Amino acid sequence: MSATTSDKLADVTGIDPDAIEHGATIKSVYVYEAPVRLWHWINAFAIVVLAVTGYFIGSPPPTQPGEASANYLMGYIRFAHFAAGYIFAIGLAARIYWAFVGNHHGRELFTLPLFNAAYWKEVLTMLKWYAFIIARPSRYVGHNPLARLAMFLLYFVLSLFMIATGFALYGEGLQAESWADRSFGWVIPLLGQSQDVHTWHHLGMWVMICFVILHVYAAIREDIMGRQSVVSTMISGYRTFKD
Amino acid sequence: MGAYETQGFKLDDSGRRIVVDPVTRIEGHMRCEVNVDKNNVIRNAVSTGTMWRGLEVILKGRDPRDAWAFVERICGVCTGCHALASVRAVEDALGIRIPKNAHLIRELMAKTLQVHDHAVHFYHLHAMDWVDVLNALKADPKKTSELQQMVSPSHPLSSPGYFRDVQNRLQKFVDSGQLGPFMNGYWGSKAYVLPPEANLMAVTHYLEALDLQKEWVKIHTIFGGKNPHPNYLVGGVPCAINIDGDGAAGAPLNMERLNFVKARIDEIIEFNKNVYVPDVLAIGTIYKQAGWLYGGGLSALNVSDYGEYPKVNYDKNTDQLPGGAILNGNWDEILPVDPRDPEQVQEFVAHSWYKYADESKGLHPWDGVTEPNYKPEGPKFKGTRTKIEQVDESAKYSWIKSPRWRGHAMEVGPLSRYILAYVHATKGNKYCQRVKEQVDYSAKMINSGIPKALGLPETQYTLKQLLPTTIGRTLARALESQYCSEMMLDDWHELVANIKAGDRATANVERWDPSTWPKEAKGVGTVAAPRGMLGHWIKIKDGRIENYQCVVPTTWNGSPRDAKNQIGAFEASLMNTPLANPEQPVEILRTLHSFDPCLACSTHVMSEDGAELATVKVR
Amino acid sequence: METFYEVLRRQGITRRSFLKFCSLTATSLGLGSAFVPKIAHAMENKPRTPVLWLHGLECTCCSESFIRSAHPLAKDVVLSMISLDYDDTLMASAGHQAEAILEEIITKYKGNYILAVEGNPPLNQDGMSCIIGGRPFSEQLKHVAKDCKAIISWGSCASWGCVQAAKPNPTQATPVHKLITDKPIIKVPGCPPIAEVMTGVITYMLTFDRIPELDRQGRPKMFYSQRIHDKCYRRPHFDAGQFVEAFDDESARRGYCLYKVGCKGPTTYNACSTVQWNEGTSFPIKAGHGCIGCSEDGFWDKGSFYDRLTDIHQFGIEANADRIGATAAGVVGAAVVAHAAVSAIKRVTSKSDSAKADA
Repeated sequence: MSATTSDKLADVTGIDPDAIEHGATIKSVYVYEAPVRLWHWINAFAIVVLAVTGYFIGSPPPTQPGEASANYLMGYIRFAHFAAGYIFAIGLAARIYWAFVGNHHGRELFTLPLFNAAYWKEVLTMLKWYAFIIARPSRYVGHNPLARLAMFLLYFVLSLFMIATGFALYGEGLQAESWADRSFGWVIPLLGQSQDVHTWHHLGMWVMICFVILHVYAAIREDIMGRQSVVSTMISGYRTFKD
Repeated sequence: MGAYETQGFKLDDSGRRIVVDPVTRIEGHMRCEVNVDKNNVIRNAVSTGTMWRGLEVILKGRDPRDAWAFVERICGVCTGCHALASVRAVEDALGIRIPKNAHLIRELMAKTLQVHDHAVHFYHLHAMDWVDVLNALKADPKKTSELQQMVSPSHPLSSPGYFRDVQNRLQKFVDSGQLGPFMNGYWGSKAYVLPPEANLMAVTHYLEALDLQKEWVKIHTIFGGKNPHPNYLVGGVPCAINIDGDGAAGAPLNMERLNFVKARIDEIIEFNKNVYVPDVLAIGTIYKQAGWLYGGGLSALNVSDYGEYPKVNYDKNTDQLPGGAILNGNWDEILPVDPRDPEQVQEFVAHSWYKYADESKGLHPWDGVTEPNYKPEGPKFKGTRTKIEQVDESAKYSWIKSPRWRGHAMEVGPLSRYILAYVHATKGNKYCQRVKEQVDYSAKMINSGIPKALGLPETQYTLKQLLPTTIGRTLARALESQYCSEMMLDDWHELVANIKAGDRATANVERWDPSTWPKEAKGVGTVAAPRGMLGHWIKIKDGRIENYQCVVPTTWNGSPRDAKNQIGAFEASLMNTPLANPEQPVEILRTLHSFDPCLACSTHVMSEDGAELATVKVR
Repeated sequence: METFYEVLRRQGITRRSFLKFCSLTATSLGLGSAFVPKIAHAMENKPRTPVLWLHGLECTCCSESFIRSAHPLAKDVVLSMISLDYDDTLMASAGHQAEAILEEIITKYKGNYILAVEGNPPLNQDGMSCIIGGRPFSEQLKHVAKDCKAIISWGSCASWGCVQAAKPNPTQATPVHKLITDKPIIKVPGCPPIAEVMTGVITYMLTFDRIPELDRQGRPKMFYSQRIHDKCYRRPHFDAGQFVEAFDDESARRGYCLYKVGCKGPTTYNACSTVQWNEGTSFPIKAGHGCIGCSEDGFWDKGSFYDRLTDIHQFGIEANADRIGATAAGVVGAAVVAHAAVSAIKRVTSKSDSAKADA
């Protein structure tokens, strides 16, 4: 009974002394399973490609010399964008699948324990830690609660938005009645017109870039200053604890 | 307001009031009320603009390079002239000089509009004020053919069979019982005096012109991509020239495109020479013969224009339709008109649905204030706020402001330009001699040429009797159309010669980037729009529009009374005109239409605080 | 009277083709061959459909465009295909005689006339910024709409609101579909729409006796299902990455893609690059100016016509997605650097503290 409660609590707050206790000898916990890690790096790659090509779709490089038939620069840029978009979207779908079949850490991206006071308490703890108010944060096995908040809002919700707007725009090129138009075409009148969707999609890219900056910084900083490993965890899968 | 005298007109509102609302076959929405005496002669006239859209407020804070597209949508009939005035105003403010090719292309576009607008106005908006469509069914096609060959010997479409076909088609149409746009017309009114043959000829040309006008505007399509609403560009024109270089086939302007334009110009010249001008001369002569020389109004007194069609760009002295102002019918003196002078062009709102702090004074457009004040009121007003039965001209009664030149109500338009150009020409101006030639020829034809051929008595009317009339206004429009078509050919040859000389430039983009602009600037752009003198005034601050004001031809002509109760050109022109049948106000429409009213143009102004007006939600 | 059949005959269509057309119509309507004579009879005898063409706040560019139609000719549409019984721009009568026509048609052809609307009703000032016969245009519109068969919203004014509805929309100009909600509405947007698109929609409705298939936003799919970009003759230059960088540059003279000077072809649904303008003479891009997106909802408020990226006014005067995004990313980056610096200092001091404690 008590085990179940603490499991639940651990699920919510990321604090799992039990797990650390059990891993005391090696001081590490297996957190990210292989598919999650693989997905993470593929996804990171896709986002980089999407952002770079997306930027150039909005502001193309200087005019190419020679015959039109001898060049296909915008074509390649757009192809790379669409291909990476598919990888990004399919990756997210696979990742959602893994949320069901993988371990409980695999679900942290997609849910937020909004109504759990213990969760918000730990969010506050993390905020205090980042504001240099407290000297030591808690130890977290999965995502720390603040990271989880960022993951949910800035990664998961934003990704859904980018996929919906992205495929709506892609559907314009695929033409009416294409799968993309039928599935996502409704987004266009919802946001106004095609140009509005472009603008929102473009703004979404910048939000994603801001997220990436924060994500990378927080990960490296936690590695150095926090109480557990972060970057290496996404490579090995093991969260190691320093104390 | 009772009876009073202004500008030599004796106004008396005691007689029967007649209301025409909507006035149809115009651009936009307009209402007209007149009082007739017991002989059905108009003794008081009131014109009301019945729409406004607020474009100037919408322009605030926008990119000056975009302004042309917004103001172009003031009017889709005189499409392009507001865009032209706008790019000129912006270029004036920023000190941009456009390349010669760009100037010539803009000239070709402006004149294309003149021809198109004038011809469509005459045949499709105005003709039914002169022509009894149903009466054409009584015509003898053979005699119509003879008439056609008499008034226009070189027009190829003149066989009896051709006219018979048209008549048969019209007969079928009438027999269908569905008269469409001709339903409830004033057919059979005594106000129509043309013989059946002239009516059939005019109806035929109604259809001919409808088919041809769509060809002429293709010049806009070549240079501006579409018509209505072709594209303009601050700094020049968007259509780059590539005659023989790489990619010329896909270039906006190449030899094929230039040839296309030339072919259209040739057609336009033919139509004006063979159809439009002869038709107006013939119809004008017959109506003059019937004694119908009404409708002069203000044109006999005050006319003005800014001047247009410079032979050398930026040199007003080479204007082929030179501007100026004539006051009180004094054709011996032309006064200079300067749109920048705060004392000259001013707008009043004493009788308009707008508000000034001091409504006894006018404001120059650069300092224009326009605050709406929709208030149908006055002791003689009848109806409610949303159901106007009769306006009261002693109070506010129109959405149109009252622009005045040095305090005078002016008539503007082709007739004004032609009176001015004629006087300039008699004073020796070498750039507008063609106008004098046209006017003198027309007077000769109307007085003796056509009467002789039709077996009617010859007359000895002077120009001062013939020109300031409804007929004169309609004639000046036809002559201007012809003159423009001829100038287009000159422009085309000059364009080709300039390209041949190695000049390919079509746009000056040195100051395209707003970072090159001064912090604050103001400019004015003027155009001889089809309906008269058009001015746009712009103030630019920090790369954005701070203030934008347009004073357009129909604002001049359709203006309500001003602070001194002076009447505008529409109102003046209706004075003292007898109505054959007040129930069928053909004469009112005839004279109003002779101005080619454009109400969307005149009433686009709106308040600065318009956004704060009560907002009504749908559903 | 001249019927539809006679019009076709006059235009050189044989009796044989006419009957073929009737049987095609029967098939497309899912009717058997027994209906062919019926359809032929209807075509040969039915009166022209009355069209009442109302004008609200507009600039008459739609009417002007309409009369430019080359196939069919505007005169053939007006004289032989429809019965244009009310159109204040073209009609002979005026004043109360004109208003009387509306009442006559509404009564006589109840439920069988088409209402064409050019422009839109303003709702501010009690609707009196557009007065017809002393009454607000919105009243006339509602009155005539009540008994019509269908509504054609001509142009961007009637379809979306267009220029007078651009911010701040001082007259509260409102598109037709927001005022009339109980009738089928066919939006034919554009400022103006292409002439042959206008007459194409009308002749489709008369020929097939049904409303054209509409897209999500109520536009006929036959003319508005593709973007200008999709069929632009300059598309190969877009794909190749060849752009006009400034007006009248060498690229402009070679007819390269106008994307960088703000062409809205990639976001605009219209038939300009296929049907083209004025009998297929040209279209804006071919004449060297980018598309300004005039058939799209709210195209006036999407930033300058010459910018690729839309201005977003909430973020100040000259902000677009890139400026906002780069600024945000810059702020985040700077914050990260600052935070990292403070963290490093903290770490050093706390280390020396613990070193002291150890000692």
